[in-house]
Amino acid sequence: MISVELKKVILKELNLDDFDMTDETIAPQVPGWDSLNHVNIILAVEHHFKVKFKSYEVLRLKNVGDLQKLVDSKLGK
Amino acid sequence: MPFNISIDNVLSILKYNPNDPLIFSTSLFLILFTLFLLVYNLMGKNRSAKIFLLIFFSLYFYYKAAGFYFIILVVSAIANFLFGKWIAITENFTKKRLVLILALFVNLGLLGYFKYTNFIIQIINGIGTAQLDPLTIFLPIGISFYTFKSLNYVFDVYFDTLKPTRSLRDFCLFVFFFPNILAGPIDRASEFLPQIDQEPFLSKEDLGKALFLIIAGLLKKVVIADYISINFVDRIFDYPLRYTGVENLLAIYGYALQIYCDFSGYSDMAIGIALLLGFRLMDNFNSPFKATSIADFWRRWHISLSSWLRDYLFKPIQLSLRNLRLFANIIAVVVTFFICGLWHGAGWNFILWGAIHGFMMGFALLIAKPKTKLYNMLGISNTKFLKFFQVIITFHLVAVSFLVFRAPNLQTVSEIFSQIFGFFHKEVFIQFVERLPIIFVLIVLGYIFHFLPVKIEHRVQKMLSDMPLVGKAVLLALAIWLAVQFKSADIQPFIYFQF
Repeated sequence: MISVELKKVILKELNLDDFDMTDETIAPQVPGWDSLNHVNIILAVEHHFKVKFKSYEVLRLKNVGDLQKLVDSKLGK
Repeated sequence: MPFNISIDNVLSILKYNPNDPLIFSTSLFLILFTLFLLVYNLMGKNRSAKIFLLIFFSLYFYYKAAGFYFIILVVSAIANFLFGKWIAITENFTKKRLVLILALFVNLGLLGYFKYTNFIIQIINGIGTAQLDPLTIFLPIGISFYTFKSLNYVFDVYFDTLKPTRSLRDFCLFVFFFPNILAGPIDRASEFLPQIDQEPFLSKEDLGKALFLIIAGLLKKVVIADYISINFVDRIFDYPLRYTGVENLLAIYGYALQIYCDFSGYSDMAIGIALLLGFRLMDNFNSPFKATSIADFWRRWHISLSSWLRDYLFKPIQLSLRNLRLFANIIAVVVTFFICGLWHGAGWNFILWGAIHGFMMGFALLIAKPKTKLYNMLGISNTKFLKFFQVIITFHLVAVSFLVFRAPNLQTVSEIFSQIFGFFHKEVFIQFVERLPIIFVLIVLGYIFHFLPVKIEHRVQKMLSDMPLVGKAVLLALAIWLAVQFKSADIQPFIYFQF
């Protein structure tokens, strides 16, 4: 399940008030989350959670659920 | 379409001929494909036999165009199948990466050898005093397409987003699949492979869509692209100084339409034919001239290539440079489109064309924020007024860039512009319409159809789906008849075949 905290970071970066996101949500479904903005979202997530991803780990993400799992694994959850 | 096939020369017609590939708009393809489809359907539920027949026909289709270079295709498929396996069983991440690098080295090495060796020799000769002789290298047709097709499989296995297939047979079908082997769409293994084991089910809607795509593709290719190319665009671009600015300008518009109809027409036929066999290929074009920016254009033009480059080139560069933020995107986009240009051919015109697109998108990124502010200040954000101008400007930038793509050298490009800006003669326009009414009507109709709302296309597809079989056959026959009327004696190869 995607955490409220991660959702907040993503929405803030995209200047969205609210958007319904599930684990299966993929980037193109979210308004503004295109391939150019992707880099800003990843940076915002890294910055907020104070974690560092490897490029490889980010490239293999398929959906928001995968991103949540990656953050959790970095935080040792 | 000449049907001058006599028993005596059947064998020679069926043999490899580099000047006569089995392109979809030839009578030979029509005959062979009809026979193939008949046998394919006679096999009923015997899936395995169908797959082997499809592999065999695909290999023949490729042999007809490339001769014994089809061995390279086979070797490339087996190598990539093994690379996939190797990457998947390698636990250690560093080693996994080394296998990926080896796979890239082999794939790009083959592609580079066949496609770019002589270009590099030409560059070396230009720089130094030593003169190297160009090598006699045959360019295996479609190598850029099938190399990229195989590589998306290797990448996805590396990223662990796709489990490698255990079946060499399935992987070969993916790589050899004749509808898209010569000029795409560069389909994704992750989408294609799972379809092989599924029982193909052709719904009424699928059949309507397949028929629509085949008819539309044939008409786009033969009636519009070939006809305006031979009878108008080529003549102007060969000697721009012989014509006025009006004709040169119309040739620019004509060529943009020609390259779109040629390439998307081929893709439409490929997707339609694949659908008849029970396979869904990815979309390749989405009304590209409706784009409101260059970036939007690339989301609509040759989608299978642009999304490939986005996923396997742009994103890795962008992410590894992400601390540079905006500049990560700019560097990634410029590098990606430089490579995109090079992918299209070993020539400075292609590199320049790619660089122009990279530069335009990089510049757009740089001014994106002030531009948005300006639009907000003027109160025109998201208005139809703004969109209209964005479409017009984007279209002209794209059309001019295609000129660089098409012209043999920059001298020709400058001659075309000197005619447009210094020798326009607007009165020639009326003469042009009077003398070449078919050309004029085709160009206008081509653009009108392009700019029609998508829902009209869907409605036509639905109408075709609901039509009885006899009606469908009559329509297809009519389209073929029309194509025959327009077809010139010599078949023009697809613009994209040389890649």
